[in-house]
Amino acid sequence: MSEAGILDCSNVSRWFGGVHALQDVSISVTKGEIFGLVGPNGSGKTTLVNAITGFYPPQEGTIRFEGNDITGMKPFRIAKSGIARTFQNVALFRGMSVLDNILMGRHIYMRPNPLAALFYPWWAGREEVAHRKEVEEVIDLLQLESVRDEHVDVIPLGIQKRVELARALSAEPRLLVLDEPMAGMNQEEKEYMVRFILDAQEQLGVTVLIIEHHMDVVTAICNRILVLNNGEPIAMGPPAEAIADPAVVEAYIGGKRDAA
Amino acid sequence: MFYRLSGVYHTRYQAARALWPIAADRWQVILLLALALAAPLFLSPLYLGSYLLPWMIWSAAALSLTLLMGLAGQLHFGFAAVMAIGAYSAIHMTRAGLPFELALLGGGVSAALIGTAFGFAALRVKGLYLVMATLAMQYLVDWVIINVPAISGGAQATLRTPAVSFFGLPIAGLEARYYLALGWAVLLTVFFLNVRRTSFGRALIAIRDKDFAAAVIGVDPFRYKLLAFLTASFMGGVTGALLAFCYYRAVTPEQFSFNVSIQLVAMVLVGGLGTAIGSFLGAGFVLLLPIVLTNLVAALGSAGILDVSQNLMAHLPLIIYGAMIIGFLLFEPLGLAKIYDNIRKYFLVWPFRHSRS
Repeated sequence: MSEAGILDCSNVSRWFGGVHALQDVSISVTKGEIFGLVGPNGSGKTTLVNAITGFYPPQEGTIRFEGNDITGMKPFRIAKSGIARTFQNVALFRGMSVLDNILMGRHIYMRPNPLAALFYPWWAGREEVAHRKEVEEVIDLLQLESVRDEHVDVIPLGIQKRVELARALSAEPRLLVLDEPMAGMNQEEKEYMVRFILDAQEQLGVTVLIIEHHMDVVTAICNRILVLNNGEPIAMGPPAEAIADPAVVEAYIGGKRDAA
Repeated sequence: MFYRLSGVYHTRYQAARALWPIAADRWQVILLLALALAAPLFLSPLYLGSYLLPWMIWSAAALSLTLLMGLAGQLHFGFAAVMAIGAYSAIHMTRAGLPFELALLGGGVSAALIGTAFGFAALRVKGLYLVMATLAMQYLVDWVIINVPAISGGAQATLRTPAVSFFGLPIAGLEARYYLALGWAVLLTVFFLNVRRTSFGRALIAIRDKDFAAAVIGVDPFRYKLLAFLTASFMGGVTGALLAFCYYRAVTPEQFSFNVSIQLVAMVLVGGLGTAIGSFLGAGFVLLLPIVLTNLVAALGSAGILDVSQNLMAHLPLIIYGAMIIGFLLFEPLGLAKIYDNIRKYFLVWPFRHSRS
């Protein structure tokens, strides 16, 4: 890649035993764009995201975020450098309320320690209030006011995914990685989610890397997409062009375009 | 009813995060505290010294353990060893002439250091393996205490606690010992509740609930597990020292043996993991219920209602006690604290019936 993006993956490879989950994947995400990762099941989308966020460090290749090499860094360090993500299966903390879950997103800006809790009124209490104000902005942005004091396991899945997005956003990331934020949602919830992602991008200036199966969503909001198949990149570019690529059609419906 | 959510408005974030935002809860706490403070006035020395005093100290111990097991989700089956380190350290420090206040802190610090060192090794494994590693700590500490005369004072020895005073107040009479124990239990309770509502407690709960999601939001799991070990061990160490100075007034290795660790785990589980009130209820259950049952069975026996053999009479309280533990955990796996919470919620929404989460 000639010009450096906010996130640069060059020649990233990862295999599990004999399974080559990622082969030589290179992407460069430009600041401020929404970059889509698309592909059939098992094509390596989540593996790439896991490589970026530090869960499965790539065996080959480098990943750079804002010019710094983050290849092989521990997940919590990558989080501190400004990348936040959500999970395909909602990964909220079940023992906490919605508000506490979102407050967790502020963790990297807080100084949690037992002494602060001991001197609560003078130390931790003030910190809590300061960060509560930040969190309320996110709650306002994602319209979560009505459920803030609920326990996370009593709210519907669509809202749970929104809470997870709120948790990621309250960490004020510069890169937001969304792993299928609309999986299992109905049309209305999907439309809400799309709106929130666009709001976050516009108002908070966050760059988004998104895995999504809904092609209508992908073509509507992504600036560029990368199509993966069996761990190999097969097409990249603006959504409409990439999806029309013969290799992509082949991967998805297994036939030639002319035949149709 | 007397509980009401309606009419409770919060206009400041501080008020919304208060420990007891509902007035009825506040009054309950004040009432309990007043009763505890006035206990020496209306309780006989027997009840004060052999029931209420140990209850307070064991509640403090359960609070320490529940921070580790309930909030951070790290199982610890050698917590009596942590308390032993605190007790022996403190007693040797006071014997060396250190002021009692510093010796208490010193007991906590040495328990925290040794406990964390074990945690450092043990935390490389999870779940059942962590249980085994902490069990190893229990046996190792037991062995060292028994076999090093400089610590235990010789084989089968009992070290008597020297006369001490706490900020000028001599810790000799029953009431002084009771108030010291009560003060520590109250301090730990407030600390524990504060941990629960701050970023530190949230980080611990996050690791317990979903460690990968915690890591992706910036929590270093190892660091926070270690911090949990450090904090809980410090609390446990001081509690062990207080147990020696305020209750036993002597230390022997048997006071901190393996079955004490198991009892502590039972207190935490029966009471309800990760709750302050559960620690008190659990400690009370494990500590006081056997005594109550024994007295009850004996009373029934002497009244002629319970006509069974002497042998069965001796074992009946234990049988009922075991059955009650199983019964309570079957009825409500989340412990006595959850039973209390259910009752509280029932009154909170009375006369309506929803909100039974």
